[in-house]
Amino acid sequence: MTLFHFFNCAILTFGPHAVYYSATPLSEYDTLGTSIKAAVVYLITALVKLVCLATFLNVSETDSFDPYQELLKALIGFIDVAGLYFALTQLTHRNISQCHKFQAVGLGWAFADSVLHRLAPLWVGARGLEFTWDYIFQGLEANANLVLSLSLAALGSLMWLRKNKPKTLIPIIYACAGIVATMPSITSYLRQGLGWHLPKIVGFELFTSLAMAFISWQLFAACQRPSN
Amino acid sequence: MANLQKSEPSLGFVIPVYSSVITLLIIVMTCVELCDAVTVVDVYRLVQYDVGGMPFGSRLAALNHHAGSAVLSSGAADLSRTVLILPIRELNLTFIRESIGRRKPLGGLLLLLPLDFSPQDIENIGEADHSSAKQLVKEVLVELEQLLIHANIPYPVYFGFEDDDVNSVLADVKRNDATGQLATATTGGYKLVVAAPEPKKIASPTISNTQGWLPGLKADGGSNQLPTIAIVASYDTFGAAPALSVGSDSSGSGVVAVLEIARLFSILYSNPKTRGRYNLLFGMTSGGPYNYNGTQKWLHSLDQRFRETIDYAICLNSIGSSSNELWMHVSKPPENAYIKQIFEGFSNVAEELGLKVGLKHKKINISNPRVAWEHEQFSRLRVTALTVSELSVAPELLESTGGLSDKRQFVDEASISRSVKLVAESLARHIYGQEGKTIDIFADNSSLAVNPSYIRSWLDLLSATPRVAPFLSKNDPLIMALKKELTDHTVEVNVQQEVLDGIFTFYDSTSSRLHIYQVASVTFDLLLLLGLGSYLIVLFSFLVITTRGLDDLISLFRRPSSRKMKTA
Repeated sequence: MTLFHFFNCAILTFGPHAVYYSATPLSEYDTLGTSIKAAVVYLITALVKLVCLATFLNVSETDSFDPYQELLKALIGFIDVAGLYFALTQLTHRNISQCHKFQAVGLGWAFADSVLHRLAPLWVGARGLEFTWDYIFQGLEANANLVLSLSLAALGSLMWLRKNKPKTLIPIIYACAGIVATMPSITSYLRQGLGWHLPKIVGFELFTSLAMAFISWQLFAACQRPSN
Repeated sequence: MANLQKSEPSLGFVIPVYSSVITLLIIVMTCVELCDAVTVVDVYRLVQYDVGGMPFGSRLAALNHHAGSAVLSSGAADLSRTVLILPIRELNLTFIRESIGRRKPLGGLLLLLPLDFSPQDIENIGEADHSSAKQLVKEVLVELEQLLIHANIPYPVYFGFEDDDVNSVLADVKRNDATGQLATATTGGYKLVVAAPEPKKIASPTISNTQGWLPGLKADGGSNQLPTIAIVASYDTFGAAPALSVGSDSSGSGVVAVLEIARLFSILYSNPKTRGRYNLLFGMTSGGPYNYNGTQKWLHSLDQRFRETIDYAICLNSIGSSSNELWMHVSKPPENAYIKQIFEGFSNVAEELGLKVGLKHKKINISNPRVAWEHEQFSRLRVTALTVSELSVAPELLESTGGLSDKRQFVDEASISRSVKLVAESLARHIYGQEGKTIDIFADNSSLAVNPSYIRSWLDLLSATPRVAPFLSKNDPLIMALKKELTDHTVEVNVQQEVLDGIFTFYDSTSSRLHIYQVASVTFDLLLLLGLGSYLIVLFSFLVITTRGLDDLISLFRRPSSRKMKTA
């Protein structure tokens, strides 16, 4: 029974990544190499973040929301953005269109994030006899994270890879990118500062990720039109 | 663009790092797996023993079934894969009697005792508690205990306490049962798991008898010719749950009394001017519930000539209840002059203390192996003996041996003090030839007064120590403590170790930890799988339609590699 539950939660957490890869033209253009490279860059970024957090952050005994600490965490979170920049611009890709490049990088990024943050708790926890809703919520969170990573990658590619953008849209692009990049800090503020419970937080994440995806899709389409 | 070589060197150190991480993960996994439950409680198993090959008690220890409550007991449902959780306060004894009598199959039984019967609760005891609710629970426990220990139960029976976690689980289970559905693998609910190995026989259980010797004032002929008086009590217990059998009244009170009398007489005998012309022998025997097996072995180990110098022996059994009536049980007929003399001495002192002492005669039948009182073992070797007890009727085998209901809160230490004074005063008047005279040797507020805090501290210690003989090792701390205490008060102390007689065999595994898990049913998992499958399929179709167009989706449908697809 419990291995069954583990299997269910695993396909909820990792299934969408595989589905996305096979459903979109990514599989036809064989962009797996790009995704894997993006995943490796994510790992290195995570290690760097860990070292910075350990060095600069002091562990608080209480569970309260400390603005200064959260600001520090947000700043360190921008290392994420730097890593994404590196993955998008510096890695050599074969000739794949920008449209597919950001998708592949975003997919690899989100997959590495899910594996690193969610596989171990899933394996240890979901196989026990005890039943909790936590792992299902964790899977939903992984889905939201996938959408957020894709939107961040899209905005990133717009910012750094596309040279001719309509002037009016540039501030909007940067603003959206800023919002998406600071999403982790917002979530932790909601959890600790306002005391929201897991279902509410997951709902909020799903909603915002869909909203940001829609906005970045519109922006991307808008930027695509002049070059066509 | 910077071209970083990230192939060979990084791969070289990545693999060992990953393998060590995986090993660490596996180690963490196995540790975390064990503390996964909603609740973990300590539970104590029903005793498992054989008498002459006949099995009694609960024969299994491992438990792994769904939980059910008393609501189910009335229906005709099949309970062979259910563990019933029954609080003692609301217990229906007829149900238990029926299901044991008719050998109904049951997955297991978890009986919940009220929290104030817990051994950890000793500090909160004040005066002896006599509320009617507690008395009712006590009576139910006595009956339940007798029922359980004389039955052969093929499923595990455990005793636990009603703490908050278990109570909330029980409330949940009752609520689920009210819907009429049995909790099984397909309907979810709670699962109770006790991981215990198969119970094994205890090979050669030892019983330890401790004796202390206070020599009397030697006349010119040497102390061997002085008569001896023995004061004996049995210190071990037997009950339905061996890990909870503390026997505060049944054997604890006797032991405390022997220790206090030893202390008082050691003060008297330390000064040669007040040393009496009798030797005193203090004995603490084991094997009481099993026909006083230990006493028999102890007496046989004594030299026969020495046994003949024993004038009489006083055995103490259950003197802790707060009634004003004590009984002297004898096996020699009451018309016997010696018995009359001793009884008169006791009655005189009892009158002064406000107690009432009665005399009861029970003939011993040598061919009957049943030994109901400790003094009968002395009588079988032709030593005059009597038992002082609050019980008026001889108990049956394994009855009144300090079981679940015999707890500290039902014992009155003032009664023990009074009984100690009764025995000590009568003894002292006999030893110093002051019978019939109005003299108070152990007067209150004197240096020879009975010490209530001594009694209380030993009683508290004994009430926190389960003392079922087969489960006490040779060097158990309690036996060492009793030996040390006797060494403080007497001149010569001996500990005799024997093996318990062959007809009783005991099995181990008396306490375990119970894990309570909240489980979801298989139907839930199947529904979840169905939901997730359809979600992924919808996601797939949506992505194909938006990125490649509807025609691609339909062409996938027509592909020879079969995929079961439902178009939205």
